[in-house]
Amino acid sequence: MAGVSLKNVVKRFGSIEVVHGASLEVEEGEFIVFVGPSGCGKSTLLRMIAGLEDISGGEIAIGGVAVNDVEPADRGIAMVFQSYALYPHMTVERNLSFGLRMNGNDKADTARRVAKAAQILRIEELLDRRPAQLSGGQRQRVAIGRAIVRDPQVFLFDEPLSNLDAELRVQMRVEIARLHAELGVTMIYVTHDQVEAMTLADRIVVLRAGRIEQIGKPLDLYDDPANQFVASFVGSPKMNFMAAEVASIEDGRVTVALVNQGSARLTVPAENGFAVGDRLTVGLRPEHFGREGEGDCDLSIRVDMAEHLGSTSYIHANTTSAEQLVIEREESRSEIGMEHLTVSIPAAKAYLFDASGARLR
Amino acid sequence: MRMRTRAAYGFLAPYLLIFATFWVWPIIYSFYLSFLATRIQPWSFNPTVTWGRLVVDPAFLNALKNTLIILVIQVPVMIALATVLAVLLNSQLLKARGIMRFAFFAPVVVGEAAYAAVFRLMFNADFGVINKLIGSIGLSPVAWLGDPTAAMALIIIAVTWRWVGYNAIIIISGLQAIPQDVYEAATLDRVSKPRQFFFITLPLLKPIILFCVVLSVIGTMQLFAEPFLITNRGGPGQATETLGLFLYRQGFTVLNFGYASAVAYTIAALAVLISLANLWLGRSAR
Repeated sequence: MAGVSLKNVVKRFGSIEVVHGASLEVEEGEFIVFVGPSGCGKSTLLRMIAGLEDISGGEIAIGGVAVNDVEPADRGIAMVFQSYALYPHMTVERNLSFGLRMNGNDKADTARRVAKAAQILRIEELLDRRPAQLSGGQRQRVAIGRAIVRDPQVFLFDEPLSNLDAELRVQMRVEIARLHAELGVTMIYVTHDQVEAMTLADRIVVLRAGRIEQIGKPLDLYDDPANQFVASFVGSPKMNFMAAEVASIEDGRVTVALVNQGSARLTVPAENGFAVGDRLTVGLRPEHFGREGEGDCDLSIRVDMAEHLGSTSYIHANTTSAEQLVIEREESRSEIGMEHLTVSIPAAKAYLFDASGARLR
Repeated sequence: MRMRTRAAYGFLAPYLLIFATFWVWPIIYSFYLSFLATRIQPWSFNPTVTWGRLVVDPAFLNALKNTLIILVIQVPVMIALATVLAVLLNSQLLKARGIMRFAFFAPVVVGEAAYAAVFRLMFNADFGVINKLIGSIGLSPVAWLGDPTAAMALIIIAVTWRWVGYNAIIIISGLQAIPQDVYEAATLDRVSKPRQFFFITLPLLKPIILFCVVLSVIGTMQLFAEPFLITNRGGPGQATETLGLFLYRQGFTVLNFGYASAVAYTIAALAVLISLANLWLGRSAR
């Protein structure tokens, strides 16, 4: 088991810099998830830790040892690929044992390790099959098994569940969480799915355009996002954003007009210096909308569509305007079929962001 | 018949007519011919002078032996070279890959007569560049066109030169179908590059290599242009006479159509048998 340390890690492809000085300390045994949209550099960062990509600048250390110039196989890591990367011409047993056999590992030890991995992943009955004869979920288990037999200090997962269907993804997510609990090994996991990130991670690293936007525990990111990007990326359905203009400022409180919501006025506590007339964004999570009169500001909305999931409903409002809202309501059966609804915004739950997306507190 | 179906056959008719006249009919007719004694008019049914002659005719057995020797040496050598060449041409380290691939593919599009003429010049015993090179490293010159073994080697070299790039291009397509992350997984498994080639690349290329072997076997069984043009109609003597050349001699020099037809069917049958044997040997373990 080992921690991983990234210091100002830079990646350039030719003249294009895709990772701009990422720094991160991963504790021993921690489950870290890199999350971000396509092209944010999360997979590149993972591949640099694995040694499959050169490091253009900065330093990566595994277990306290700088590995910039260490061969991938000598870094004590194992990686699970998005496409599984199984050897198509080998049986599951051969896939699991290939690396050990190629390195002259003792036969009995190889057999023992393969049997143990197969038992952990419950794939014992699949050992004689080839990858083509396995389902997506079974292939993913074999790919994880191949990582387990190496007995690595650090597991790296590169979007391992993105080729699976929704149901299997949930199931495998649980399996991976169980595996982490069972093995207690450091795991670094890349995904673009924030639900995977929220459910699996000890800490999440949110990346955008090659920069780390925020590092934190899942609920800390959810409750206290550093900026509008993190606020929008973490949480499903997404946080609502409403354009606002500063109407008045008085000691530690600012009153904004929600310009696209009938100029409803909302007063929120804020300390930063801004001026009357400044353009801001107010963020509010779908579940934080209150009923009429319950909050600090009422909004009259046009209901366009409602998704009734049983215990909760998602009301999609103002979808034809520039600023659509999603409102989560519990026990909203009495509202089924309503075309207009008045909801309220509790000021304490609202987030303020400036024009650049930075959080105002 | 539905209108659409009739229209489809209408459009296909010109092709089907030509196919039937120049492919199907000759194939059937030559099978019939292969049972006829065609040296004296009128032609009569007498398979002993066609099929029967095959097993006793030393010229046929010589051509068969020559063809099989070329097949056994040239096909494996060429496929091995093509595989290595494909790996090199597919390397990320190689500059101007497109031009290099074309350069190795180009021999296929060069006219047979032109390339044969150049080979005859290059391998000329007295003033050819090959013998000059051999001489420059202190070896005695080789009578490429006069010595039976050397002439055979020359045919093998020429055919290999002409088709190695073609096969390499086919194998490259197979290489490109192997996902890169399989190699990355092997790298993480501490498997060296040479071992990756033998334990991952080669097994995964097996179907495409088998395809190339079958194509080459069929091509070599019909080998005609090189012995006809380079070693001057299978010379010296009949040292490089192949089945294709023997068939041509029987059919179009001696005008013994019945015997030539029997030879043609024998060539086709051998090509099918050897190809099937290859496929059987190369089948998956499961």
